[in-house]
Amino acid sequence: MIRPFPRSLAGQMALLVALALALAQAINFTLALRERDQFRRDQTTRPAAIRIADALDREAEGRPIDAERGRVRRAAANPITPSMEAQPALAAELRRQLAEQGVRARHVAIAIAHRGEYVVPDDAVGRRMARRRRNADVILIAVQQPSGAWLTIAGFWPRDEERLFWQLVGQTLILYAVVLLPVLWIARRISRPLKALAIAARGYSPADPPDPVEPRGPADVQAVILAFNALSLRVTGMLDEKDRMLGAIGHDLRTPLAALRVRIESVEDDADRTRMAETIAEMNRTLDDILSLARLGRPSEPATQVDLGALVDAVVEDFRDLGEDVTFDEPPRVAMTLRPSLMRRAVRNLIENAVKYAGTAEVSLEPAAEAVAIRVCDRGPGIPVERLGDVFAPFTRLETSRNRDTGGIGLGLALARAIVEEAKGTLTLANRDGGGLVATITLPRV
Amino acid sequence: MSQADAMADIPHLLLVDDERSIREPLAQYLTKQGFRVTQAGDAESARMRMAAYAIDLVVLDIMMPGEDGLSLCRHIRATGETPVILLTARAEETDRIVGLEMGADDYVVKPFSPRELAARIKVVLRRTAAGGTRQHAPDAGSYAFAGWVLKTGERTLVDREGVSVPLSTGEYNLLLALVQRPRQVLTRDQLLDLTQGREAAAFDRAIDNQVSRLRRKIEADPKAPDIIKTVWGGGYALSAEVTRL
Repeated sequence: MIRPFPRSLAGQMALLVALALALAQAINFTLALRERDQFRRDQTTRPAAIRIADALDREAEGRPIDAERGRVRRAAANPITPSMEAQPALAAELRRQLAEQGVRARHVAIAIAHRGEYVVPDDAVGRRMARRRRNADVILIAVQQPSGAWLTIAGFWPRDEERLFWQLVGQTLILYAVVLLPVLWIARRISRPLKALAIAARGYSPADPPDPVEPRGPADVQAVILAFNALSLRVTGMLDEKDRMLGAIGHDLRTPLAALRVRIESVEDDADRTRMAETIAEMNRTLDDILSLARLGRPSEPATQVDLGALVDAVVEDFRDLGEDVTFDEPPRVAMTLRPSLMRRAVRNLIENAVKYAGTAEVSLEPAAEAVAIRVCDRGPGIPVERLGDVFAPFTRLETSRNRDTGGIGLGLALARAIVEEAKGTLTLANRDGGGLVATITLPRV
Repeated sequence: MSQADAMADIPHLLLVDDERSIREPLAQYLTKQGFRVTQAGDAESARMRMAAYAIDLVVLDIMMPGEDGLSLCRHIRATGETPVILLTARAEETDRIVGLEMGADDYVVKPFSPRELAARIKVVLRRTAAGGTRQHAPDAGSYAFAGWVLKTGERTLVDREGVSVPLSTGEYNLLLALVQRPRQVLTRDQLLDLTQGREAAAFDRAIDNQVSRLRRKIEADPKAPDIIKTVWGGGYALSAEVTRL
């Protein structure tokens, strides 16, 4: 697609400079045209006046003006027809010049005859003129003497507007070459490193150690690049620090949990002990979720080729082993590149929710050409439409939920969505016809 | 003399953890479970205790100030055959894999159930005693068979094209048991025993069911299995050649 206006720095600079140059050239052209007109007027009228005066002088000396010979000729009538292009300004100038020469005239007319309107006589004078200027118009000067007789001078009138125009185009092109090339060069010198910087900024991932952008171009641009490099180092450093802190928090919280877990083994009452163990396990799961969510920007697990069908099947199978009613028809093999443990976690969280709210879950996997959809459907209470978006926010729990006893602080969906989005997919929730909820993970097939 | 005999029969554990709040109640619990327990608060005193006593098994915390558990584990492995069970605070894949590569025999993730730990200690001790020499850790290394690779560190099955096929906990345990004993006939009871050391809950379901699920995943034709054969009289055997990687 060609945009009407360039958006890049080089394009805008080039366009602006080109427009400015064209405008300057147009002004020059107009001035040159006016000067040439003035010059031509003088070139036309002054010699004509002198020639006529000269011819009249010679006539007075007894050499009559001929109708067939010489530059100034006699004519029976005014040779200018109305279809010719009258030049009143020239005529007025000529009348002035004639008056200066002392020639009296009843009428002075000048017109330009286009081709075919006037034929230059085929004699010595006509041939000499025609040899030099082909395809030109003819300028006709007609002066009526006080006696009523007509004197005419014919000459070629070159039409050189076109030549002038091309001259201007040529000059402009030379200017463009001389001015625009350096402008483009400097613009590119600025825009190239900026583009590299934009790519680096877009590709910045806290998971990889930052790859500094090479400082190139003018000093101002280099300063920006150096500042960006320092910034990305700082951001990565802060994220490293966050990871270390989360690791320390995890350790510091798990240690007392572990101590507690060991100590409750001495509780005599079996039911009590089991409940305590469950509470500790729940706290630990929450801690896991918080740490996973916080660390998701920098996953430690590499992405590998995984059969997504087998992955979902393995999660479903683990639920069945725990006695849950989860159905899934294993589809044909769907090889995808993803982080298997994290994706397992996402699918597990969705099934866990379904089992928690509805008691059962139906899982399906639909491979299409562009994307793969994993659906987890249940027949539970669903979610009010206006709250569908809220449930992804961490620590949201809907009033309708009945999981106060079974625990869960609403991190599950937030974590699942974060995992799916890290894998460039989407996670959506929708209510089903006939009640219940369907959670859909859509992953692009690369 | 009779007292020395009694002492020799009781497995002697070395419990290494810098956290007293865990170490002391755990030592108490394990003692109640019939072990003799010696405690150490850091790697240095652990080395001293190991030199002083005939330790049967070391329970070792990974995260310790000073020399950490992984380094001590490597030292123990380099100097003797004493089995090691790691206590790890993180369930992170990398920690587990590194720990097992260091030669640990098993691991539990904090917070763990002391009962589970005791059960695992017994499994490892039984295995060590039965093997005479120490066997490979159950979770270390990879097994190649019939075009598949079972990576035990990552607990994944990888096919010829390098695509990994995730397994459920039950499937993984069963396949691991089979792959470690190629061409041996294993009865359903034996398979239950072999796979129960880990997540017992995962094994409420029948072995047959797991076998047929595994076949669907790895056999070219699950109806005419080539890899996991049913043996007449009740039992299964892995009929493929297995290479340890």
